Order: sequence, then C-alpha cells, then structure tokens
Amino acid sequence: MSQRTERRGIHVDQSDLLCKKGCGYYGNAAWQGLCSKCWREEYQRVRQKQIQDDWALAEKLQREEEAAYASSQGVQSHSQSTPPQQPPGHTSLGPFSKFEEKKTNEKTRKVTTVKKFFSPSSRSASKKETQEGKSPSPSISRHASFDTDQVSRDFVDFLKNLQKTGREIHKQCRAFIMNMSSKKDLSAEELSECVQDFYQSMADRLMSHFKGSSDSVEQVMDQVEKYIMTRLYKSVFCPETTDDEKKDLATQDRIRALHWVTIQMLCVSMDEEIPEVSENVDKAITDIIEMDSKRVPRDKLACITRCSKHIFSAIRITKNEPASADDFLPALIYIVLKANPPRLQSNIQYITRFCNPSRLMTGEDGYYFTNLCCAAAFIEKLDAQSLNLSPEEFERYMSGQASPRFSSSEGDWPHSGHGVTATNPVLAQLNHNLELLSGLSSRQETLMESARSLQADLLSWPDTVQREVNDILEKYPLEVRSCTVSAIDANNMDNDNLPPPLTPQVFAG
Amino acid sequence: MSAMRVDAKVVMLGKESVGKTSLVERYVHHRFLVGPYQNTIGAAFVAKPIQVGEKVITLGIWDTAGSERYEAMSRIYYRGARAAIVCYDLTDSSSFQRARFWVKELQNCEEHCKIYLCGTKNDLIQGDRSLRQIDYHDAQDFAEEIGAQHFETSSKTGNNVDELFQKVAEDYNDTAFQYMTAEETGVDLDQKKDSYFYSCCHNN
Ligand SMILES: Nc1nc2c(ncn2[C@@H]2O[C@H](COP(=O)(O)OP(=O)(O)O)[C@@H](O)[C@H]2O)c(=O)[nH]1
Ligand SMILES: [Mg+2]
Ligand SMILES: [Zn+2]
Repeated sequence: MSQRTERRGIHVDQSDLLCKKGCGYYGNAAWQGLCSKCWREEYQRVRQKQIQDDWALAEKLQREEEAAYASSQGVQSHSQSTPPQQPPGHTSLGPFSKFEEKKTNEKTRKVTTVKKFFSPSSRSASKKETQEGKSPSPSISRHASFDTDQVSRDFVDFLKNLQKTGREIHKQCRAFIMNMSSKKDLSAEELSECVQDFYQSMADRLMSHFKGSSDSVEQVMDQVEKYIMTRLYKSVFCPETTDDEKKDLATQDRIRALHWVTIQMLCVSMDEEIPEVSENVDKAITDIIEMDSKRVPRDKLACITRCSKHIFSAIRITKNEPASADDFLPALIYIVLKANPPRLQSNIQYITRFCNPSRLMTGEDGYYFTNLCCAAAFIEKLDAQSLNLSPEEFERYMSGQASPRFSSSEGDWPHSGHGVTATNPVLAQLNHNLELLSGLSSRQETLMESARSLQADLLSWPDTVQREVNDILEKYPLEVRSCTVSAIDANNMDNDNLPPPLTPQVFAG
Repeated sequence: MSAMRVDAKVVMLGKESVGKTSLVERYVHHRFLVGPYQNTIGAAFVAKPIQVGEKVITLGIWDTAGSERYEAMSRIYYRGARAAIVCYDLTDSSSFQRARFWVKELQNCEEHCKIYLCGTKNDLIQGDRSLRQIDYHDAQDFAEEIGAQHFETSSKTGNNVDELFQKVAEDYNDTAFQYMTAEETGVDLDQKKDSYFYSCCHNN
C-alpha cells in the first residue's frame, strides 16, 4: 500500500509528519522537517559555526591587510625585513616593532626634521622582528570582528593614495592601537589623554606634510579617528573604571520620572498636530536613539546633527520662519525627554573623550553636541522653577499623584472614567493600540484553529484514502486471468500494477 | 552633507535681550528685523568666512539661548571658545553688571578665550543721549583692565558691526600665525611631543 502511494509522490505516512530528529513532536517544512525545539538547537549549532567562520574570515582579512601594505610598498624593503621563520599569525606585530625601533632611533640618532618622520624606517628591522616572534599575539587582532576589518580595509584603501605618507600613518595607528590594548588599567581620563595626544601629534605632522592645508589634514584625521576608534571602542566605551553606567541608569530613571513634562511647560515652538512637524519629531527621536549604535565618535556626532536638523525643520514649519537658539535648546530637551536615548551619559562622555577636537570644539556638529550636553545637564537639574511650576505642583507630578494634562484639582483622575479617554490623546492612543492588539490576537486564534483542523484533516486523510481503496478492492476483487487471451496487449506487462479503475478493457478476441 | 570646516569658535554672551541674536543676524545677513517676534529670528550657529589679508578665516559663531532658564548651562557653551563677544545694552545698566559677571567667568574658566566687550543699541543713544546708562569711558577703562577690545555697535544701523567681527577674525589670524611659525622654526617641538606621546602610552 505505502509502496503504491510512494510511487505517485505523495508523502502521507504518519511518520513523515513527525520531527526528523525522532523526538515525537510534529515537524514543519519551514523548519526543515524538525520540530520547533529541535530546530532551535540545530539553528544554534549552525549559527555557532557561522560565528567561527566569520572570525576566521576576519583573521584572513587582517593578514590580507598586511599583505596589501607589503605589496603597495614594493618588494625590496619588505622582503629583506621579513625573516622566513616568522609564523604568519604574528605578522600583525610588524608595525609595533617598527614603532619601537623608531623610538630607539629617536633616542640615539637625532631626528631633526618633521619630514624625516615620514621616511621609511624599516631597513634594519630583521633583528627586532625576530624578537617579536616570541611575544604573544595581541588580543586585539584575535577579537577583530567582521565590521572592524571592513573599516581596516577602507582605511588601507584610503591611505594607498597617500603612498609613503599613508604607510607611515598606518604604521603609527597600528602601533598606537597595540599600545592602547596593553593599557587596560588606565583611567578613562588617561585613555582620553592618550588618544587626544595621538590626534594632536598626528595632526601636527600632517599639517606640515600638507603644508598647512587644513582641509587635507581634516580628511585624513577623520579616517584616522574612524580606524582607531572602531578598534578601541569595546575597551574604552563606558569603561568599568568609571561610573558612566551608573549615571546612564540614573538619567534613564530620571527621564522616566519626568514623563509628565509637556511641550507647553518647556515653551517649545513645535506643533505636533501638523503632520509634517510630527514626522520631523519622530525622525529626530529616531536619530538620537540611533547614536548609541555607532562606534566612531564622528558617526555619533552625525546622529546628533541629523536629529538637530530635524528639530530645526519642525520649528521652522511650525513658526513659518527660521529657528533660533532660543527655540532650539528647549526643543532638543523635549526630544531627549521623549526619546530617553540609551546610555546617554556614556555616549556624551565617549564623544567628549575620543572625538577629534577640531570637530567637537568649533564646527556645526560641535554646536549641536554642546546643546545636547546642555539638555542633559538641564534634565538632571530640572526643578519646579525650570518649568515655571510651583514646588507643590512639581512634587505632585513627580510622585504621580496628579497629571498636568488635567486640572490639578482633579487629583483623582483615574475615577473620572470614560471622559478621560476622550480628552487625553495618549490614553486614546493606548486604547486604540489595545483594540488593535486584541483584534490581532483573535485573528491569530482563528488562524491557529484553522491550522489545527487542517492538521487533523491531513492526519485522517491517509486513513480515508486507504478505506476507500479497500472498499473498491472489496467491490471489484482482482481476478488474475490468463494473459494468453489477447494478442494486442501481450507485451503490456505493467497493466496488472495499475489500480483497478484504470485497468484497460480486455478484448476477448 | 559635510559641514563647513571652521577655524575658530566665537560665542555670544550677555543678558537676555541685550541684542546678541540681532548682532549675529545683522553681521551675517545684513538685516535687522523688528516686529512682535523679532527676538526669535536668526540662526543658532553660523559659519562665516572672513577675508583677512590673503587668507580666509572661518568663524563659527555660536548664539546662546536667551532665556534665563538656561543661563546655568552657559559654561558648557563657551568651553573651547577662541573669542567671546560679551554684550551689554548701552541703555540698561543691569546688563553691564551681567557682562562683568561673564567676563569673570571667562577669565576663570577659559584663559585662551579673547574677550570683546560690546555695548549694543548704539542707535538709541544717537537719538536720545539721556538714554545712555553706561559711560563710554567707564566701559573703556574696564576693557583695558581686563585686556579686552571694546566696541559700541548698532544692529539697527549696522554701525561698527563689521568692524567688530573683522577684528575678531584678524586677532585670531595673528595668534594662529604666531603658532604656525613657532612650529615651523622650532624643530624640537615635534620631538617633545613624540616623547610625551611615548611616555603616556608606554609607562604603566
Ligand atoms: N534699536 C535697537 N534695538 C535692538 C538692537 N539690537 C537688538 N535690538 C532689539 O532688542 C531686542 C532683543 O534682541 P535680541 O537680539 O533678541 O537679544 P538677545 O536675547 O540678546 O538675543 C529685540 O527687540 C531687538 O529688536 C539695536 O542695535 N538697536
Ligand atoms: Mg537671542
Ligand atoms: Zn524534534
């Protein structure tokens, strides 16, 4: 029986519906025939392997990055400086040793001009690099993620255009990262000082290299910042040596406690009733939340700038004239209160500590960032006076005894029943969402119901089919007759295998 | 959308309504706006390129929120500024007291920030001398005492406004030039920096 159905390509055997792992639960085609539990386990395994593969790829890229530099430098200098016994995994230490060597050069020989700094300095390197083979490979290269390596490749590509100078910059940056990775127990301020000193000395050198063209310097510095900070991010963002995390949580709680602050109390000139304004407000909120997901200080700054531009648009549309500083700060405070951006304090600290100062201090990005710092400070210190409220009112709102959306005499507003829903847009939205949710849940239930009955149908189907087949077989029992009767169908041997209704009629001569 | 590169940060400070925003507006857009909402017109941040000799210096002019509510935050604003234009209203003596306060703040917290003392609304006094509450010489003496430049301007007529910002740009250019030449002739400078960088990142 099962043989026959198999031939028509229909899988209806009970065992075919079960999980392929044989755990007894039903499987599902979407889960490659496994049940949900077995699928999750399987998926986890595959994912783990993928992560390992990614790491391997990252390490490969790392090596390629080195190779790219070697080749872009021409063979002659590198071939003599790479001793054959050096294991491939340790090539990433090259720049570090050269940096060390550079330093000794500086101590013994006097380097008198800045230009000399950019001259190749790897001529007598072989001795040093043999030593370096013994030291353990730095953890930084092992933990490099896929992202990080993309950034490295971009950096290499960018520096290629600068030739010799590019190589020197690369070397400096690598060396700096290696050094930083060994400075685990420095305080956040010391880490910041190291990075800022590095920016400063790099910018000074570039300044004399580009003969004072600030734009070129800035361009390179942006890339340097991106490369270095992508690498250092994990170890220097919200480090354990600081109380940044505690401050983050405090700010988050504070903003939550201030949920009742209205746009009117802050005197913000944004009318969210206008669709275009509320669109800009939403975008501003998204931008400021997105800041936390960026690793490079400048990318974080860009989020703040985008957020600010949306705020300016919202104000301009509302007022029908350009916004000024007087409008901007309160609006930004309002956006921060609404967004409650994750790890706000950590992000502010991180940008302050590790952003290239020329961006932070003078330019437009810096202006918006400074306003964000002010907004954070304002929220921290916010009191009755800052909102033009009486201390009593402020207390009642803070403690949740009253909500400013209703007249304060109506302290017991939860009892006022359905009237509230009509007046309060937030509650209305909430109710609306609840309705949508319950609608969704009942539709989900119907779907599940249908699925279950479909499953039952499917399970009983083979039985039904079998019963029908049996019935037919009973009604028309197979009679095997002698096959010599007919000459026409003589070689048609398969006829007997056909199911009864399809059996050709036989001519009895 | 890369923002314009800026050479120096210039902050506007002073009591609410002394005319900070109007001053920026006049300088950058050559206009003076009157009307019921005039104190809310203007941009918050302006990057303004200024010709100084053969060079172009770009000033980043930072306006601050006027409301007293945010005055406590002003310290965050002037961090790293190369110049501060401290404004007072020539017809309001209390605004001069406030200006003194800002000067003291700057001297304490931002030693590299050059101060420009600016008496505003000069046009009002031209019309009626009795409106003047701050004597020119008193302000001049105070400016000399603190090593600041002193200007009296009108955003309404544009009187002395260009001169003020031109002076800011020129002074910046002079100090920046000194810095550059020191770097070019002083060969040891780089070595010192290197060894500092080294000591910071190698000692533990
Ligand atoms: N007559 C006259 N009025 C001025 C002058 N500058 C500003 N104002 C007025 O002073 C008020 C406050 O100016 P605003 O620039 O907003 O001050 P801010 O708070 O310091 O930014 C506005 O009504 C301006 O029109 C000026 O030079 N002359
Ligand atoms: Mg103003
Ligand atoms: Zn299973």
